[in-house]
Amino acid sequence: MNQPATLPCTASIGLRAPHYREVLQSLPELDWLEVHSENFFGGGAPLRTLLRVREQYSVSLHGVGMGLASKKPLDQAHLSALQRLCDKVEPAAVSEHLCWNAAGGGVINDLLPFPYTHEALNHVTRRVEQVQEKLGRQLLVENLSSYLSFSHSEMSEGEFLAELSRRTSCGILFDVENLYVNARNLGVDAEDFIRAMPRDAVKEYHLAGFSERDGCLVDTHDHAVHPAVWKLYEFAVSQIGPRPTLIEWDSDIPALSVLLNEAEKAQRCMELCHA
Amino acid sequence: MLSDDLACFAEAVVTGQPPSLLIDTEYSNYGVTVAVEVYRNNYRGNLHDALAGAYPVIAQLVGGDFFRLLTRTYIGQHPSKSGNLHHYGAEMADFLAAFEPAQGLAYLPDVARLEWACHLAYFAEDAEVMTLSDLAQIPAERYGDLILKFHPSCHVLYSDHPVGSIWQAHQRGADSDFQIDSGASCALVSRVEDEVRVNALLPVQAAWFAAMREGVTLGEATETTIARHPDFDLQSMLLNLFDNHSMVDFNLKGML
Repeated sequence: MNQPATLPCTASIGLRAPHYREVLQSLPELDWLEVHSENFFGGGAPLRTLLRVREQYSVSLHGVGMGLASKKPLDQAHLSALQRLCDKVEPAAVSEHLCWNAAGGGVINDLLPFPYTHEALNHVTRRVEQVQEKLGRQLLVENLSSYLSFSHSEMSEGEFLAELSRRTSCGILFDVENLYVNARNLGVDAEDFIRAMPRDAVKEYHLAGFSERDGCLVDTHDHAVHPAVWKLYEFAVSQIGPRPTLIEWDSDIPALSVLLNEAEKAQRCMELCHA
Repeated sequence: MLSDDLACFAEAVVTGQPPSLLIDTEYSNYGVTVAVEVYRNNYRGNLHDALAGAYPVIAQLVGGDFFRLLTRTYIGQHPSKSGNLHHYGAEMADFLAAFEPAQGLAYLPDVARLEWACHLAYFAEDAEVMTLSDLAQIPAERYGDLILKFHPSCHVLYSDHPVGSIWQAHQRGADSDFQIDSGASCALVSRVEDEVRVNALLPVQAAWFAAMREGVTLGEATETTIARHPDFDLQSMLLNLFDNHSMVDFNLKGML
């Protein structure tokens, strides 16, 4: 039996390098923090920082490099590095994205969408099982922000995730901003998506800001959460229920207090909108 | 087939060519070429940022515009091979040696080699460091049979240029005093209390280290070194390695 995700059901922030020192000194009143797994592969200063954080908070490890849908075999060195990190940090959750990153001879270090076909579902199912088996933990899989879609998809991303979770018992990390981006870019019906989510499988929410390029909303994590995304989050909380909620900010990172205010807003929202 | 879809998408992102017919061409507010361009910018931007993170001294030495030209060319020639962006950029030194616009800056490849060693040292696995008291367990007459194991962060470089001084001069808060034409140098990269250090080594010390790293005994390495450089001081070399937490373990020949 894989160890389930056990994040405290409160709002928090993604911890990034510009705030390491301040967070360790001021110890903001949060129950948990999330970091990008790959930044802590290996030892030295990054790991030492994370272990100090871990003494004060629950930690969520959020990966950006596993490539769950890539057709190349899973990178065993990458997976082993994640496993070693889990052994050291004892995270309360481990997550990855529903995307691919490798084809042919190279890797594209991004989060790339793929056609939601039965072939892909069988493929990703096997790989999520491999990761969970190796880690001995439940993996949370995050819905993606996409700028294009495939004409031969046989189901929606939401249906794909729900079925993936049913087959593998993986959790769902529901990124509300990603869904909003897809609604605006690709015409996905966001409320339908939320209503169809298997509630019990949803273990975490993500919130972030986006920007716009030539009509396309891009998931840049460089702004405050947009009012329309807050609205969608309220709807999600009312339908699915409150879950651990993370504010992500990865570029043009503002003062820590700005992030903490956003987290507080999410916390209030969670308390008010819970049906 | 999924593999064909991904290969086709990857090709479009890397080359900027229009993707296959299986990708929708029209979206609510833009066309597929905008989407491909967004992915292409992400792809190149992420790799550029990875290189900027690993090579801050190179970036300072050549300036922002030149560095962007350099990374753009590098990215075109060297696809990423790992989902971990911290692995990207290993071939920078060889790339710079062949990069036509940088031919006037003969020291650049070795500065890149040193920066990559520092980058590896920063992320290297932890290992228990060997101390003088560990060595005290060995009777002095067996020292010649010692085979040393070095810390994963430990690297030694040789250069025809003063790369250690160039690197030091470009660290935050350093005074920028170095002689670019002061000739050959050797550098020891290490990690002490999680901080990456670059220390100068004498060429004779670097030669001894190279022999030890091959796994020969301390007796053999020292003998070979002294035969060429009678002034080699083993004791100060070992103290230097202890100071820099560069050794983690030892074996005795015949007891492996």
